[in-house]
Amino acid sequence: MDLLYLAWRNLWRNRRRTIITLTAIAFSIMLVQALHNLSYGVYAGMVDSGVRAGSGHLAVYHDNYLATRDESLTFQDRDLIDKIAAIDGVTEVLPRLYIPALAQSSRESRGVVLIGVDPTSERRINPFLKDLPAEAMVRSTDSRDAVIGSRLLKELQINPGQKFVVTAQHRDGTLHSELLRVRGVVHSGMKDIDGSLILIGRQRATVLAGTAGAVHELAIILAETRQEAAVHRQVETIIGSRPEIEAVSWEQAMPNLANAIKLDYASQKFIFLIILVIVAIGVVNTLLMSVMERMREFGVILAVGSKPMTLRVMIFFEAFSLGLLAATVGTILGCLATWYLVKVGIDLTDFVPESLEFGGVVFDPVLRATWDPNWMVRIALYVIGLTLLAAAYPAVKAGRVTPVEGMRHH
Amino acid sequence: MALIELHNVSKVYRLGNQKVPALTDINLKVEAGAFAVLAGPSGSGKTTALNLIGCLDHPTSGQVIVSGLDLGQSSNRQLADFRLQNIGFIFQSYNLIPVLTAAENAEFTLMLQKVPRSVRRQKVLALFAELGIDGLEQRKPADLSGGQQQRVAIARAMAADPRVILADEPTANLDSHTAEGLLDLMRRLNCEKGTTFIFSSHDERVIERAKRVIHLQDGHITADDTVPS
Repeated sequence: MDLLYLAWRNLWRNRRRTIITLTAIAFSIMLVQALHNLSYGVYAGMVDSGVRAGSGHLAVYHDNYLATRDESLTFQDRDLIDKIAAIDGVTEVLPRLYIPALAQSSRESRGVVLIGVDPTSERRINPFLKDLPAEAMVRSTDSRDAVIGSRLLKELQINPGQKFVVTAQHRDGTLHSELLRVRGVVHSGMKDIDGSLILIGRQRATVLAGTAGAVHELAIILAETRQEAAVHRQVETIIGSRPEIEAVSWEQAMPNLANAIKLDYASQKFIFLIILVIVAIGVVNTLLMSVMERMREFGVILAVGSKPMTLRVMIFFEAFSLGLLAATVGTILGCLATWYLVKVGIDLTDFVPESLEFGGVVFDPVLRATWDPNWMVRIALYVIGLTLLAAAYPAVKAGRVTPVEGMRHH
Repeated sequence: MALIELHNVSKVYRLGNQKVPALTDINLKVEAGAFAVLAGPSGSGKTTALNLIGCLDHPTSGQVIVSGLDLGQSSNRQLADFRLQNIGFIFQSYNLIPVLTAAENAEFTLMLQKVPRSVRRQKVLALFAELGIDGLEQRKPADLSGGQQQRVAIARAMAADPRVILADEPTANLDSHTAEGLLDLMRRLNCEKGTTFIFSSHDERVIERAKRVIHLQDGHITADDTVPS
């Protein structure tokens, strides 16, 4: 029999109250862990979708392009694509050329952004093209095929297979036009994308803009996001001899997405904090009631020779036992909830439009969690710490009682 | 030197703005091996005197010396250590810890003294046999009768081999047969082990068995009778 054993026995003195408190703490842990893992999964999906359609996990730009979006700031990719693609962890390097242009059909005209791409690698990576049949993709980099947004198609009042003209400013200052044919149609679910996207072969785009061999962006896609820092360093080494270009992370290239995730997670953390404060209040209540009920007993324990510190330690042991047990049960429940959210997810199809947009990217309406064991352990440890913190006041109160005062309690 | 000495001891409690004297200018000496009772009606100062002797409270004035320790010169920490090593307590309502078994309750002071588990269990089993409650070791206090609980409380008080056992109205909640049995038991322990027993009581059965009866009335000692053996 030692203090920890005595604390454990004391914990079960009022079984129903302990079980209710334990359930509340465990349920809160489960909620916070499952919600975090769900957010982690959704954010990971958004980042994945965002980097594939946008800048990649890392991107190489002319050093002033991100700040100005000046279309004249291109750079020659030379052998950069091959060198970067050879880095361990890089799955694809996507060259892109962005050209502001005017698209015209026989009936309508619209301002658009033409994107010159490598059709083969782009189709493998870009989530907007995942539902596009192979025969609907641009056939080669110099073909006159175009893949256009569904809304733009409607606005230009043309159909797949029909021709339209794009006009853009050539590097020499004159306007150049190209006749393109609608090969495929993209329906991303995002109004801006579907209303302005035109993908063409990269070579055809350079002919139109007069920028032979030049790109605005090399989007680097990684096998795993956590390799970003290591690959970033290697890319910087490769481009080190070319001061006119820079490698940036996806957060720098797509600040809207990064900030949207940060803001969303910050609001979630606030909710987590509220949940944990409620847990702390519950623990204080339970321990304080337990202490107040035992004042007479504490008086006796002190009378027979115990020191106030022994009582305080016993209260902390009670809180620790409660926290540890709740953290264990809560983490088991959190694992079960996460497992369900990973395997099945939350299907929002019936509640939201066909596709969901957040932070400028489209994500799956079936929300799925991703395991984040480090964070799960961390939240469990936080709760144990919080339980100990919540025990401070009851412990101080227990330690302040004198034997005579304590024994007068009824 | 006496085991317990009270010199000009007064104790005044405060009730709001009012001062309530519980003991006034008490002088008392108790020798080791005594079997004494502080007798008197309710409010006479018996429990206050017992609390002072038991190092549970400080006097308002005067000097309390127990086994050479001057209470007024000792910190609460020193007093707690002193109680643990030298004083055993028996209470009117037993005051056993309800979540512990009878044996664990009896072991409690030994646990505080950090005595190894096997040693303390052995000691408590021997005490239980001596007190006639062997076989009840694993029972919780709620499953014991009043007399059995008080025997467990005696075992707890005896376990650490204290020099003094202070018993506050130990028979008040017991039927007369059980009370007499317990008093005989404590008297036997006093004779065999030489442990000093000091009771506070107005129970005639306790007073009859005491070797010394100290009468208290309104905070004053009115008589101090030693019964010839």
